[in-house]
Amino acid sequence: MAKIEWGILIVNYLFLGGLSAGIFFVSALATYLQQRDEAAYARIARYGAMMAPWPVAIGSLLLIFDLGSWCRFYKLFVHFRWQSPMSIGSWLLVFFTLVALVNFWAWLPEERRGAFIAYLKLPPHFNYDLSSWCRLLAAAGFPLSIGVAIYTGVLLGAVQARPFWNTNLVAQLFLFSALSTGCAVLILALSYHRQRLDPNQLRFLYTLDICLITLEFFIVVPYLIHGELSVQAVKDSLELILGGPYTVAFWLLFMGIGLLAPLALEVWEVAPAMASGTPLHHNRGLAAFIGVLVIFGGYVLRYVFVYAGQLSYFR
Amino acid sequence: MPDKRYALVIDSRKCLDCKACVVACRAENHVPLGYSRNWINEEHRGTWPKLLAAFEPEQCHHCTNPSCVRVCPTGASFQRDDGIVLINEADCIGCRYCVVACPYNARFFREDKGVVEKCTFCVQRVDRGEMPACVETCPSKARVFGDITDPDGKLQQLLATREYRLKKPETGNGPQIYYLI
Repeated sequence: MAKIEWGILIVNYLFLGGLSAGIFFVSALATYLQQRDEAAYARIARYGAMMAPWPVAIGSLLLIFDLGSWCRFYKLFVHFRWQSPMSIGSWLLVFFTLVALVNFWAWLPEERRGAFIAYLKLPPHFNYDLSSWCRLLAAAGFPLSIGVAIYTGVLLGAVQARPFWNTNLVAQLFLFSALSTGCAVLILALSYHRQRLDPNQLRFLYTLDICLITLEFFIVVPYLIHGELSVQAVKDSLELILGGPYTVAFWLLFMGIGLLAPLALEVWEVAPAMASGTPLHHNRGLAAFIGVLVIFGGYVLRYVFVYAGQLSYFR
Repeated sequence: MPDKRYALVIDSRKCLDCKACVVACRAENHVPLGYSRNWINEEHRGTWPKLLAAFEPEQCHHCTNPSCVRVCPTGASFQRDDGIVLINEADCIGCRYCVVACPYNARFFREDKGVVEKCTFCVQRVDRGEMPACVETCPSKARVFGDITDPDGKLQQLLATREYRLKKPETGNGPQIYYLI
């Protein structure tokens, strides 16, 4: 009988890794989008750049502490095993975190940079101005952020012994969920801004998130249909979320509260603006609520997949 | 070495569930209580007086295409040319990816050492030309260990004359424990 080897630390790590990747991706996208020769979503790009490196850094620390011999973690970087998703993922994490950190520095306002250098008592010539690198860093980070987000799903999907995981749909699901949670963090960040909500930027995030959640939904549906039409072991493994111990978590907490509810709220916000040009509701509370729901859904998704997957097995 | 391929044939009908193999493994490989590198699956069917109790020993299947070796990020899990799958403890970081990836749950994580362990086919004995401890100790001779590529060997003889089955071949791992039926 299978038992749980990967616990809540791994759930947190997969969530945080995906979150950073999502934040970076949306921020990089915003860096490139222009309107009348001006950055159309400058605030999204800046907030994203400020936040992107930290969740993945915390997640990587959790990953290291979850190791049985954490002091030997450097062995991950002594060997490269192209057939092991964990080996490829470790390298992706390093490069992604480095790019996200340099990007953070590039977006840091000059006075903050100066204060940071002074705080660390570093010589002033460390105060490099990298702001001209922003677009280059965004371009470099696109494939890395997508790679990190996909790899968190491939890590599970590559295990052919666990029928709940062993499908390419898990990687896609984790990718779009990661991008959606990144979007949600930025919605949350915009909603906390003291000034009036910027309707254009919020509408951009809502629209992007509607696309991402819809993609996610149409991956979950074929995941369930194909699973039911697959071999007995896969059908049996789906019982874990169709009447088994993870049913409530999957259907109510993930599908209901974490996926369809925020989708409905976002459509309710954006649809009138799209159809008749009426402005958004400009409701900070609602924006924050939507952000929290999406983030919660992303976390529950990883929780259900990490746990249920380990309990699935071939008979 | 490269022209050898070790495998195990188990005649489950001969197994009495005495667990001498489990004890012998524990003694030979210093496996602490609470962990086991091998075990015996029990199956009970029917109701009295038509009863069946079947026993089936299990351990690492030393697969030809082991998923544990494939997923290992540091190469700590590796396969020798003679088919034996081993773990180099010095390289094992305790990520437990291999434990999750094994279809047979043959691997376990040693909390005290922070590394993963499993059956080694008693490689220390095999390299001296001896049998694994479980095979040597089995009182009913349910276990037969040897080189499966040897056309005149005991394994080929058994597999040619008896029906056998493999466990979970659909995972693509190519298990190398043959259960005679």
